[in-house]
Amino acid sequence: MSPAGPARDTRGVIVVATDVTRDYRMSGSIVRALRGVSLSIPEGDFLAITGPSGSGKSTLLHLLGGVDVPTAGNVRFLDRDLGSMSVEARASLRLREVGLVFQRFHLLPMLTALENVELPLAAVGLGPGERRARAEERLVRVDLGDRLDHRPGELSGGQRQRVAIARALANDPAIVLADEPTGELDRSTSRSVLDLFRRLNDDGTTIVVATHDLELAEGARRRLEVVDGRVEA
Amino acid sequence: MLARTSLRELRHRPLRTALALTGVAVATAMLVDMLMLGGGIQRSFEELLRSRGYELRLSPRGTLPFDTEATISGYAELRDALASVPEVAGVAPVLAYSISVETTDSPDEPQTSLRALALGIDPREQGLLRLLEGELPGSGEVLLDRRTIEETPLSVGDTVDLRVAGGLDVAARSGRARVSGIAEFVFSAREDRPIALPLEDLQSFSEMGDVVSFAMVRLTDGSEPDRVRADITARIDRVEVTTLTGIVTEANERLSYFRQLALILGSVSLVVTALLVGTIMAVSISERLGTIAALRAIGIPRMRILRALTAESLALCALAGLAGLGLGVVVAGVLEDILSDFPGLPQAVDFFVMRPSTLLLAYLLLLLVGAGAGLVPAWRATGLEVASLLHAEEP
Ligand SMILES: Nc1ncnc2c1ncn2[C@@H]1O[C@H](COP(=O)(O)OP(=O)(O)OP(=O)(O)O)[C@@H](O)[C@H]1O
Ligand SMILES: [Mg+2]
Repeated sequence: MSPAGPARDTRGVIVVATDVTRDYRMSGSIVRALRGVSLSIPEGDFLAITGPSGSGKSTLLHLLGGVDVPTAGNVRFLDRDLGSMSVEARASLRLREVGLVFQRFHLLPMLTALENVELPLAAVGLGPGERRARAEERLVRVDLGDRLDHRPGELSGGQRQRVAIARALANDPAIVLADEPTGELDRSTSRSVLDLFRRLNDDGTTIVVATHDLELAEGARRRLEVVDGRVEA
Repeated sequence: MLARTSLRELRHRPLRTALALTGVAVATAMLVDMLMLGGGIQRSFEELLRSRGYELRLSPRGTLPFDTEATISGYAELRDALASVPEVAGVAPVLAYSISVETTDSPDEPQTSLRALALGIDPREQGLLRLLEGELPGSGEVLLDRRTIEETPLSVGDTVDLRVAGGLDVAARSGRARVSGIAEFVFSAREDRPIALPLEDLQSFSEMGDVVSFAMVRLTDGSEPDRVRADITARIDRVEVTTLTGIVTEANERLSYFRQLALILGSVSLVVTALLVGTIMAVSISERLGTIAALRAIGIPRMRILRALTAESLALCALAGLAGLGLGVVVAGVLEDILSDFPGLPQAVDFFVMRPSTLLLAYLLLLLVGAGAGLVPAWRATGLEVASLLHAEEP
């Protein structure tokens, strides 16, 4: 990994999955969630991964973001082999370079919107002042500048998901990975989340979403269909 | 930041938190009481003995140090023999004898009578009592226990009849004495009603001759009790000599029952605390597994999450512990009242001795156990595989 070596060739590429397989052991039998998937996400991409339920979308997303590691094949994230990293090293990489968005938001109910966004900033060691300023800026970016001190319970589903997106953006990650981000939202709210993703992507954020939501999928720059653990051409 | 959620999390579930707080507070109270009991009675007894300043105790050979039935004969001779030991600074003789005390006939008051243990002492050299009012008894005078004064119409200056009921080998006798003062008899059990009078008076009243039940010996400064003990034992063969340390050891053996009880119950209360905090934390953590998985997924270090969850159990214990300390002190007072009726123990001995160090120890033990108990489910939850957790928690 010398700066003049292969790093040059992969410049502009965030993550590369090569022939990735993921098996899960389930009470004796083995479930093959992914069967030899290869994929490359360039900087600035907005990719939608679609496919039937159980086809392996979430699994692929987790592998791309280093939440999980493949059983076979390899994933290189910013030219680092995720499979050879320790659990805590991957956690540290995710904290700084991956913004995760979940279907169920997973905000801390006891913290305000601002505090929820401050959380990953505190974890990288930022002081209170800078933390607050950055969190505020992220919330303004997702149009929640007027909801800083609201707790998740006082926000609508769409607003909560935007807080979660602001949290994902907190540490300026190289990529945002969203798993079924509109799964709990109605059509019009889903559309506003799509608009937000497009705007963020236009500003340069690399985004991958796994979704059933056709409107969201069609709004992405690129679409990839996963069926039964394989990428359909 | 994360730790801040802990207190809010506790406040968010008021009923559960209140129940857990109460449980931990009660367990803490028990822990405090058992720590107070475990060390208290023993130290309080030792302090009591040492405060009187008599390092040696002479009892009839072949008897236990607290046996008051047997006697040492020829006290005058004994005293003279002791006087020839250079380290002996003073001798306090004690003769114990059961008699009954009656108020003298008076037209306007009903007569009262009580069985008392009469202690014949040398008023100038004694370590059994603390004078509260009046004077030490001279010839023809008695000193009454504080409680006797409380329970009877007697007061200082009154006259009482002392009686010995006749039996097979003793003739009935009676005599009269003036109440010279009121004292606290520090070694007497609470149920006893001791009185004190000059040794010579009791010797002649009991018709027992020049005997004493035991004698206490004060030593000159800097002398070694063990050496003097050996010296006296060599010179006088009809007495058993026990040092204060020996008496304390003996007493400690008799009190080991309380210490074992305290140790067991104290451990039980810690185990109960651990189970309670562990259960509460396991339940509330399992409710938040999805959130914990998400926090791990976005890369929050495991240590941070552990710290926050531990802070939660610590906050619970810290709060409940304070209430528990207070409760423990109150309950100790109640138990002290009940236990001080335990027969045969000196009334001046406290079962529950409250020391700041004891309270601090209880509090620290509690925090340690509470933090440990919270750490177990937290450690398990944060160690689970993130992807599997997310798979299980997301629909
Ligand atoms: N941690 C796991 N343990 C066991 N099996 C798993 C695990 N994660 C995924 N699987 C299995 O792998 C397969 C793919 O699951 P995955 O969640 O990736 O599908 P998906 O495309 O995201 O489905 P959905 O659209 O319902 O979210 C499924 O059969 C699933 O049961
Ligand atoms: Mg999925």
